Amino acid sequence: MPAPLEIINARKVFRTPEGGSLTALDGVSLKLATAEFVTLLGPSGCGKTTLLRTISGFETLDAGDILIDGTAVTQLPAHRRPVNTVFQRYALFNHMSVARNVGYALEIAGRDKREIRTRVGEMLELVGLTGLEKRTISQLSGGQQQRVALARALAGKPKLLLLDEPLSALDKNLRQKMQQELKALQRELGIGFVFVTHDQEEALTMSDRIAVLAHGQIQQIGAPSQLYQSPANLFTADFLGESNLLPVALDGQSARIGDGQGFAAARPAGAATLLLRPEALGLARPQGPALSFTGVIRETYYTGKDHQVALETPAFGTLHALLRSGSTPLDLGAELTLHAPADDLHLIDEVAP
Amino acid sequence: MLRRLLSLYGLLFFVFIYAPILLVVIYSFNANTLNMMIWDGFTLDWYRQIFGMETSITQSATYVDSTDQLYAAVRTSLIVAFSTSAFSTVFGTALALAVARYRFRLAGFYRTMMMVPMIMPDIVLGIALLIFFITIGMNLSLLTIIIGQSTFLISYVFVTVSARLAEFDTSVEEASADLGATPAQTFRKVTLPGIAPGILGGWLLSFIISMDDLVITYFIAGTGNTTLPIHIWGMLRRGIKPEINAIATLMLLFTLVIAAIGLYFRSRRQK
Repeated sequence: MPAPLEIINARKVFRTPEGGSLTALDGVSLKLATAEFVTLLGPSGCGKTTLLRTISGFETLDAGDILIDGTAVTQLPAHRRPVNTVFQRYALFNHMSVARNVGYALEIAGRDKREIRTRVGEMLELVGLTGLEKRTISQLSGGQQQRVALARALAGKPKLLLLDEPLSALDKNLRQKMQQELKALQRELGIGFVFVTHDQEEALTMSDRIAVLAHGQIQQIGAPSQLYQSPANLFTADFLGESNLLPVALDGQSARIGDGQGFAAARPAGAATLLLRPEALGLARPQGPALSFTGVIRETYYTGKDHQVALETPAFGTLHALLRSGSTPLDLGAELTLHAPADDLHLIDEVAP
Repeated sequence: MLRRLLSLYGLLFFVFIYAPILLVVIYSFNANTLNMMIWDGFTLDWYRQIFGMETSITQSATYVDSTDQLYAAVRTSLIVAFSTSAFSTVFGTALALAVARYRFRLAGFYRTMMMVPMIMPDIVLGIALLIFFITIGMNLSLLTIIIGQSTFLISYVFVTVSARLAEFDTSVEEASADLGATPAQTFRKVTLPGIAPGILGGWLLSFIISMDDLVITYFIAGTGNTTLPIHIWGMLRRGIKPEINAIATLMLLFTLVIAAIGLYFRSRRQK
């Protein structure tokens, strides 16, 4: 079975009005597995939206190829590509009813009225809007419009669904609900989803794989847990979740951090960066080798089950920790020692500038 | 206190604007044949007179013009208005689309050039058109009126449609293409319905302006083609007679009906 989507070495350069040029895609390659949910994650201007628009056909590549379901579509205009898009602000047709919006792809394809009506009914049931066929778009809430946009994009049975930050306009509760629904829907339909977002939490929750983009290049692609636990570079480590990044010196067998504490690391000598996630730091000293950090509590936030603590240390500046709420008082200005187990630490072969 | 003063000011303002028009309407029903400023009872005779029906009015109070001439003028005006508004709407809309959608050299220049005919003094435009038609050896006729009016009515349509296009969200066109529609299908099913209120507005505006344009049309009409405004102007030169009030009232009614149709379609679109 051919991959639902394959992008080979895609390049795209925009000309800026000032006469300069802006590299939006700098050699991007990506291959989707069957029924895979891939998220393109990155800050604004990283090229993720451009990449999505080259897949849907609204931007043409300067170089490279795009294959959908094994067929090259690089030269095809948008209306001849077997993909559909859920747009950021929905882009619904305000002058049409909900039913005509959802049935638009079938209407264009010239299907007969009864077939369209049946399919529209199915689609509305799928997104939980049964019975709203005759409504106009302005009579719907934001969440309902979102569902209509989704139903409209799915009605034509696309091989691949593209989603351009579709949840960014919804409030937090609705967004979380829609995240779960979208994921469930994707499993049920068994088609590939390419989801664009700048919200890392959203990416971590929904994706089979995440492609982190910056400066027009894929920084790293992998499962959410892989990206979170062992990021390949500083950008990914910093962009995905909170992180404490400590410079380390390597001598071949062991690594040493700024204050002289060391741990075993069988790597070539040189400099690297140690990644310590906030939840790796704890109050109790673990058995076996550990790194310890003593400092003064500068900030604490109570989040319900956890305390976020900002600890100011003499050697490393501010460290962020996520501590289980417990009996230990966490008073501002108090001294505190935190420990992290020193086996299985993740090192990044890059040094912060 | 201040509120009252403001209300009074508002009232005076509207009296200032609408009193003359209201007077024309009232006088059109005035039975006094000698002095139309003095109310002498209600009558529909002036309207009957226009349509050539039997009235009790003596000849001295009316214009010598026959009803046929008035009808001919109305017909000429309608032919001109339908032709120019149709022509201007098609070309004005096409121009607005081109300037809004395509990036080409001097787009800003073209946009400005489309505004110029609107601010050009009518007299200047009239003289220019007259000299132009004479120079190229074109006899003044219905056709010269239509061509001449279109030169500036295109601008009105262009401005109205451009305004609509400016607030039209192009992402729905992308959505349409994304769902498989060819550019032509997208234009028919999405773009056109989206900017239809602007097109309709431009069409009605150009129709109404065409119907009552006097200055420019006067220069390029020649002798055989009397439009309604030129006809009324001719009547006025022989003194103001009560009949004119009835004609003015009918024109006002006609304009209001067209505007109402426009508003009706607009509100239906927005629902």
